[in-house]
Amino acid sequence: MTHDFLVWFSKSFGLFWLMAMAAGVLVYTYWPSNQSRFQQAARAVVDDEDKPWR
Amino acid sequence: MFGFHYRLERHALRFVIAVILVAGIGGFVEIAPLFTISETVEAAPDMRLYTPLEVAGRNIYMREGCYACHSQMIRTLRDDVERYGPYSLAVESKYDHPMLWGSKRTGPDLARIGGKYSDEWQVAHLQDPRAVVPESKMPSYAFLGRTPLKTSDLGLHLKALRKVGVPYTGEMVANAPADAYGQAAPDSPYAAGVAQRYGEATQVRAFMGRQGDPTEMDALVAYLQVLGRLTDVAKAQQAQAAE
Amino acid sequence: MYVAQLTLPERRAALALACLVAGLGLTMAVLGRDDLLGTHGALVIACGVVVAIVVMRGFYAPSPSPERLSSYYDDPTRAGIVFAMIWAIVAMAVGDWVAWLLVSPDLTFDAAWSSFGRLRPVHTSGVIFGFGGNALIATSFYVVQRTSRARLPDQVSPWFVLLGFNLFCILAASGYLMGITQSKEYAEPEWYADIWLVIVWVAYFGLYLRTLARRKEPHIYVSNWYYLAFILVVAVLHIVNNLAVPVSLGHAKSYSAFAGVQDAMTEWWYGHNAVAFFLTSGFLGMMYYFMPKRAGRPIFSYRLSIISFWGITFMYMWAGSHHLHYTALPQWVQTLGMTFSLMLLVPSWASATNALLTLNGAWHKVRDDATLRFMMTAAVFYGLTTFEGSFMAIRPVNSLSHYTDWTIGHVHAGALGWVALITFGSLYSIVPSLWGKRAMYSPRLVEVHYWLAIAGTLVYVISMWNSGIVQGLMWRTYNDSGTLAYSFVDSLVAMHPYYVMRAVGGLLFLIGTVVGAYNIWRTMRTPALAEIGDFAEAPARAAPTLAAAE
Repeated sequence: MTHDFLVWFSKSFGLFWLMAMAAGVLVYTYWPSNQSRFQQAARAVVDDEDKPWR
Repeated sequence: MFGFHYRLERHALRFVIAVILVAGIGGFVEIAPLFTISETVEAAPDMRLYTPLEVAGRNIYMREGCYACHSQMIRTLRDDVERYGPYSLAVESKYDHPMLWGSKRTGPDLARIGGKYSDEWQVAHLQDPRAVVPESKMPSYAFLGRTPLKTSDLGLHLKALRKVGVPYTGEMVANAPADAYGQAAPDSPYAAGVAQRYGEATQVRAFMGRQGDPTEMDALVAYLQVLGRLTDVAKAQQAQAAE
Repeated sequence: MYVAQLTLPERRAALALACLVAGLGLTMAVLGRDDLLGTHGALVIACGVVVAIVVMRGFYAPSPSPERLSSYYDDPTRAGIVFAMIWAIVAMAVGDWVAWLLVSPDLTFDAAWSSFGRLRPVHTSGVIFGFGGNALIATSFYVVQRTSRARLPDQVSPWFVLLGFNLFCILAASGYLMGITQSKEYAEPEWYADIWLVIVWVAYFGLYLRTLARRKEPHIYVSNWYYLAFILVVAVLHIVNNLAVPVSLGHAKSYSAFAGVQDAMTEWWYGHNAVAFFLTSGFLGMMYYFMPKRAGRPIFSYRLSIISFWGITFMYMWAGSHHLHYTALPQWVQTLGMTFSLMLLVPSWASATNALLTLNGAWHKVRDDATLRFMMTAAVFYGLTTFEGSFMAIRPVNSLSHYTDWTIGHVHAGALGWVALITFGSLYSIVPSLWGKRAMYSPRLVEVHYWLAIAGTLVYVISMWNSGIVQGLMWRTYNDSGTLAYSFVDSLVAMHPYYVMRAVGGLLFLIGTVVGAYNIWRTMRTPALAEIGDFAEAPARAAPTLAAAE
């Protein structure tokens, strides 16, 4: 495991990792079936929540 | 009921794993190459180790938080180099556990302060900074001159440093308290062993101008006077570049 | 009074834990009898004994009614808010004191503990961990219960987390005064305090996950993502950066496992991500809950908050090396740090914009309600500071700004303008209901606090910008003959007026905090609604459902 190899690996894999992560996040965020869940969560905070459900 | 809960918890754990993957791998990939960096760092075969007295002085430097106002890292910028000396090399702090590069210069950089001023100046300045530099913002450290240095456990300190990778020998560890005494008492029988173990360039002097049991002031001045002088590789590199 | 809420087994467990802590303290005191470690051992014993006495005094109080299970468990949140305000006053007072030390350095009384170098970490740790940490723990307990519609799973572990964390803070601050420090910036506490924090943090993480596991909704609200990332990543950073070998088990002193350039990279990987995950992620969690709540409007874009979450989580990890531009760190690591610092602007501004757009349609509330204005201003400062941070990470800019007061100004724009303001806004919005009151004791005083805080922040930040830029320029100015025009002392003399101004700005902010603490204290003590009891715990509203056995 030489230094040059690790540097090369960091640079290439780091970039790949960034792209993969960004793609994954965007897919998750804009997946149509997730939308209602997100809207519900955003609204839920402002609703009444004065006691636990159990 | 159990299945329902299981699903919920799996959801949270999936999230936890995602955070670890995203943040952890990112951090690891960036830091990993630094652990093989020794392959690319300049070699410094003449590099000396801190003596026990200098280790004690370094610990006082940390204890008093000197690093909060003084950096020990000369950048590769022209004005940094002209003001403080040849820029710092990675190898010069390879035995610094931890490094004291600092992040703020309320006072000047100290990476190459060693030898720039006399011992008398350093002691006077630490005792009452404004007597020497009227505009100074530094607090007085007169109490260091009144506090005897604890040397009895320096062997343990060297041992701990050896565990993290500083090549102290068994002889150095065994003689640590005596070497700390001898370095500040050149006329004592303990003085000869210091240069023998740590190299001829080691500064064996009465830093406060009097011999006997060393004070914390002795230790701190010994440390300040060795800063930037453990190896000549930076100066040699600068001279080479100038040619 | 808090003990009465614990069940008998919980009281036993609390007592056992307190005795265990005292036992640990005794071990430290014996092993470290020849060292400062022994003093800290005595301190730990004292803390354990105090908690044990408090528990014992309430030990035979009647058991709490089962109705408690139909409300949230907010006692630790209340205590956490009180701790946070105490730490805020102490740490900001120390901060302003050290600012005056730079104006008049002879104020040290010829003592060791009173010098700038020893007091400065008391200020930084006190503000970051004492004030920020307690506020995060207190609000995270509040938020996770409400967004999950679930009560905390038990009543001992939240106290263990809160009190254990405060023990860490006390060990840290008292250690600095005695000269116990690892000298790693923002990670100064020594090995035994670090190990203790890991234990506390594991309990915190477990508690958070257990609460989430009790939730009803399948989806976890985004605030919890930020809080959870804060807990998780801070644990990783803390453990890696603090790896060290103690001189012996009887010594407080340890030596870092890393040296030189590796240590520098590890330290600033930690240091910058402490900003990211302690001072940003956790407080964003606060913002994403309390701001919509106070404005009465859902967050502008929930999707954007998710995208910025992952952006921040990923990119901050790489940005630390911008603290080491032009140093002995390899150039490619510096470039990497700079690039990611610039990219960070995208998720940071996405969060700031998201917060401000949430207020669309509620701006009249911002005008009338100082509490909401605290949060709005915090979002503005968050946007400004992240822009400034990305800007300062650019190498040529950094060559001017680094080592100067500009960095100090930047940090305080974030710490005062963002962290403190969002915290005060959040605390003001929950303190009345937590203590069963309709509103704060004095809305006028909230207004006074707001303007003192803004004035203090601006005076502080502007004076530090000025001094930093002047300083940086003086260091690099050459005269006609090609030599440096100013000595270091010349630049120091030029700093003096800015240092006075900075100390005044800090004082204004400190007075604001004292006003806020007074207001909170008076709110707690007003009898107005107190007789009715905590509205959330009023028996009339108790649902008959009991917790299912787990």
